[in-house]
Amino acid sequence: MDEFAPLDCLLPSGKQRIGLVILNQPIDEQFFHVLWSKDNGDIPGTEHSGKGQTGLNAKIRACADGGANHLYRLTEGHRESFLPDYINGDFDSILPEVKTFYTEKNCKMMETSDQDLTDFTKCLAVMVEEIKAQKLQIDTIVTLGGLGGRFDQIMATVETLFHAQKMTDLPVVVIQDRSLAVLLKEGRQHHLNVNTGLEGKWCSLVPVGSPCLTTTSGLKWNLDNQVLTFGQLVSTSNTYEDHDPKEGRKPVRITTDRPLLWSMGIKPQ
Amino acid sequence: MDQYVTKLFECWNCSKQRIGLVILNQPIDEQFFHVLWSKAKIRACADGGANHLYRLTEGHRESFLPDYINGDFDSILPEVKTFYTEKNCKMMETSDQDLTDFTKCLAVMVEEIKAQKLQIDTIVTLGGLGGRFDQIMATVETLFHAQKMTDLPVVVIQDRSLAVLLKEGRQHHLNVNTGLEGKWCSLVPVGSPCLTTTSGLKWNLDNQVLTFGQLVSTSNTYEDHDPKEGRKPVRITTDRPLLWSMGIKPQ
Repeated sequence: MDEFAPLDCLLPSGKQRIGLVILNQPIDEQFFHVLWSKDNGDIPGTEHSGKGQTGLNAKIRACADGGANHLYRLTEGHRESFLPDYINGDFDSILPEVKTFYTEKNCKMMETSDQDLTDFTKCLAVMVEEIKAQKLQIDTIVTLGGLGGRFDQIMATVETLFHAQKMTDLPVVVIQDRSLAVLLKEGRQHHLNVNTGLEGKWCSLVPVGSPCLTTTSGLKWNLDNQVLTFGQLVSTSNTYEDHDPKEGRKPVRITTDRPLLWSMGIKPQ
Repeated sequence: MDQYVTKLFECWNCSKQRIGLVILNQPIDEQFFHVLWSKAKIRACADGGANHLYRLTEGHRESFLPDYINGDFDSILPEVKTFYTEKNCKMMETSDQDLTDFTKCLAVMVEEIKAQKLQIDTIVTLGGLGGRFDQIMATVETLFHAQKMTDLPVVVIQDRSLAVLLKEGRQHHLNVNTGLEGKWCSLVPVGSPCLTTTSGLKWNLDNQVLTFGQLVSTSNTYEDHDPKEGRKPVRITTDRPLLWSMGIKPQ
């Protein structure tokens, strides 16, 4: 059983310890501050402050290439308080002044010029390595950006989620504007906690890449051992089953035989 | 040899291009809108697309009346609905829960094209590639349905991206020489692996399988060419529907 609350990361009181990736898209300021300031179990004001309960660095935050431009712009006036651990990419999007700034502040600048992989994929690969090397206690990797802008880059985001499944067992969540997407692994029963209070009204299951034999519960329109496949059946504009307001929503349960793309709306705050 | 897509990308320049126009519930690119509206022989809004049309054409609204507006009307604003109803645009409430407003809009357009014997080469859609993520995916699903509804290519344009679903089993020749092509292009095997061969791209495929998790072509571009000659057409064959997308040069 794979129990997971996709929107827990956006709750200031959320339990998940996260790694943060910033892509080259406009940053949702409100989400940014919640995600950036996650303490990951850090105990401020103690000898462990900044280092989490294990005595090691609790946090990891990175920009993929032009993501640094958005971070730079958003944090104007307080930039030293918002330094990423590293910035990677082929550096064809990062602005010269931005690159200079973060270099001078000793952020690790990692030029990764592999033509076959996107900056996002490479950023994740580095993050997975760093999490291992530094023995960080991380539950989820959260990505800001990736679901808007150039259409091929939206598709490339989805492709990165496929690669991520081979790199790590950690869920990789992508958030932009009012959408969240995560690729559900095949062969497991997923239990999605949709009771954070941040859920918007829509949700969706999309068989990107191959047909998916799917069973669900907890949705308004459930699937009962049915094949989701483009041209036949794709679940969009779905929503959650009615529930007693006194109780919470039951988890959405999903099984699939191939990777299946879950997405959901985030309530405007 | 299938030349149909060759014509479609000339829809900006060639005054002979006859298009059907669909406007979806996304911000409208004003510059594209005016070119497309004036080439269109049939024009429609899917639900909230009418809101964007109404806003964009303020001051000249009577000159930009769609032939019909369809949908479950849960997005169209009351004043917009009233306005177009009073101007005698056909208001078609289509409350089928299983199909999106876009799919239903296309179904009506295909019917109207037949019924009115319109000579249309391409259906062009404004919107559909941005906003809510599930609705972007729903746009792609509609393109699959469209292939069963009509032989006409259905092109989707938003911001600086264009997408079109290439049919299986044909050789596609894409004319990428209009001068409006941006630098990137892409082939994405949405829905199933695609055995693909291409020429004319910087990174071509030679009877290779495109499939998520293994090989997906994004941030591709066109092969170098002699500026005195034009670009050669991009040729693509695929054994399953394959999603082509490309950048549009900022004007």
